[in-house]
Amino acid sequence: MSANRSESERHEAAKRSLSPKRVAAAAGVFVVVLFLDFFLNVILPDSSIRQLLMLAACNVLAALSLNVINGMAGQFSIGHAGFLGIGAYTSAVIASHMHHFFGGGEPSFARSFAIVPACLCASAIVAGFFGFLVGLPSLRLRGDYLAIVTLGFAEIFRLIIATAQADSGNGQSVMGRISAAISSLGGQNGYQGIGNDGIPLYAGPFWVFGLAALLGLVAWRIKFSGWGRALRGLREDEIAAAAVGVDPTRYKVTSFVIAAAGGGIAGGLSAIMRDGLGIVNPDNYNFQTSFDAITMVILGGSGSVTGSAMGGVFVTFTVKAIELLQGSSVVQDLRVSVEWLDLNALRMIVYAMVIIALMIVRPEGLLGERELFGKRRAVQR
Amino acid sequence: MRVAHPRRVVTNVAEGTPLLRLENVWVNYGGIKALKGISLDVFPGEIVAMIGANGAGKTTTLKSIAGLLPIASGTIHFCGKNIVGQSTEDLVFAGISLAPEGRAIFPNLTVRENLELGAYTHRDKNAMRETIDDMTRLFPRLGERMTQEGGTLSGGEQQMLAIARAVMARPRLLLLDEPSLGIAPKLVVQIFEAIGQIAAAGVTILVVEQNTRVALKSSRRAYVLRTGEIALSGESKVLADNPEIQAAYLG
Repeated sequence: MSANRSESERHEAAKRSLSPKRVAAAAGVFVVVLFLDFFLNVILPDSSIRQLLMLAACNVLAALSLNVINGMAGQFSIGHAGFLGIGAYTSAVIASHMHHFFGGGEPSFARSFAIVPACLCASAIVAGFFGFLVGLPSLRLRGDYLAIVTLGFAEIFRLIIATAQADSGNGQSVMGRISAAISSLGGQNGYQGIGNDGIPLYAGPFWVFGLAALLGLVAWRIKFSGWGRALRGLREDEIAAAAVGVDPTRYKVTSFVIAAAGGGIAGGLSAIMRDGLGIVNPDNYNFQTSFDAITMVILGGSGSVTGSAMGGVFVTFTVKAIELLQGSSVVQDLRVSVEWLDLNALRMIVYAMVIIALMIVRPEGLLGERELFGKRRAVQR
Repeated sequence: MRVAHPRRVVTNVAEGTPLLRLENVWVNYGGIKALKGISLDVFPGEIVAMIGANGAGKTTTLKSIAGLLPIASGTIHFCGKNIVGQSTEDLVFAGISLAPEGRAIFPNLTVRENLELGAYTHRDKNAMRETIDDMTRLFPRLGERMTQEGGTLSGGEQQMLAIARAVMARPRLLLLDEPSLGIAPKLVVQIFEAIGQIAAAGVTILVVEQNTRVALKSSRRAYVLRTGEIALSGESKVLADNPEIQAAYLG
């Protein structure tokens, strides 16, 4: 029609021209994570710093998955710890049993190619199933009410694990078997693998950082795919979305399943990551964990993939910094001289102050809904 | 403007039979009867207007045609097939596309994303590109704002976007709910000109309006709704001269 290239042709050309760059970037990431798997302990001899970095990557995954529900779908889940916990326990149990089956020993890199995918797939499937169950009420409940359901789910999960008695249940009835299985997870003391010799930690930097990069890309693709567009449309205006043919029921439930599966992977990875604790404990999946995950998403920018990832890193380091502050000699001396000082409360106060300050400076989070490598122009009038 | 659907198998409507036919349609909201036996016909290629005061049931009629509201009784035929109970998704694919009332666009999605979401039921790359180009020609202001968020558009531009998004689905029947609502008179003229062009390309249009003057001027036939019933119907020109209409709606 016109001699100039049309608006949409230019748009698509811009999309295509990145392809060779993308291949190179993917290869680069692969080489880097492979290198890190063997040499990270040389570069960073302090295992607590390695642990912090890998934990940050796991938290990025937790934030990215929660962002699907809270950011893209516009639902409000405050029970993400439940999905993280289910993923962690699933991976911990499967890793321990597979390790045992392969004959124990030191976790090797070659063996991790069998064990890590198996663990994480199982975590994603089990958590995704529970995501489906929790997603069903989301069809009828909105806002605060849905939040209560998700919180209730996470607490039920945590308390079922925590209150299981070691001697409860005998192998006879169905209920007996179930309660025997649950109590084999260690109850309040946590699960530490078969014979309590620790969960085998197979997921080295290759897996942790590699998956963070890969699933970050998946989250990005989800946001800008037809599916993500429909999901975000549903969040903006349910009638308008329904009018263009988007089925609200299907999308709401599916978004819960995807977010839960992602949370399961994040939790599973944190349970079997190298330099990890080698133990999963129900107390690691309490409301504080859910709250941290929400903070990551909201601080980074609800709906933004790169924002959530930044939020994940930011919160991980902030929490660690506060812990270091608590252990510092100044604070310890203060504690000795002021007997009523509660260090836990101190952590909450500092944490809350950071959040309040950020919400005053940038109420929409670091990035709002936008991305670091933005596709859209800033608001202009 | 290209309006052929990339995947739909088109069943042609026989000469003289309506594309859309509502027969004795009743709709209840709880205990309230919103529609009390509406019957209307829309023939291929027509622009049909539906006018009436607030609460007469105009929006309800459009929503039940689009499958967004369940009807209590009656039948709705589209292309000769009874479509009662079909999902909106299937209906959009079959060719019924609604631009909802009150510029119901997606404010935090870009203009382009808004349009692409309009093509949700076919997602055909070529058809999407063609219609986006056609829509930027029809509404040049949208073309300038492709990467801007929908919520940053002016009221008139948002209405253009809502119409353009509905056209993205490549409909046979376009349902427009109050396209003039809260928009500057100058833009109303522009928007109705664009609606005329969409109709000229072969899309049948059923438009709901409170702006009776504009609606009667730009449509071939019209129905007047009053408290859930059709009070009057006929050629728009004739209705415009009807003393009752003049007294009640044209002032």
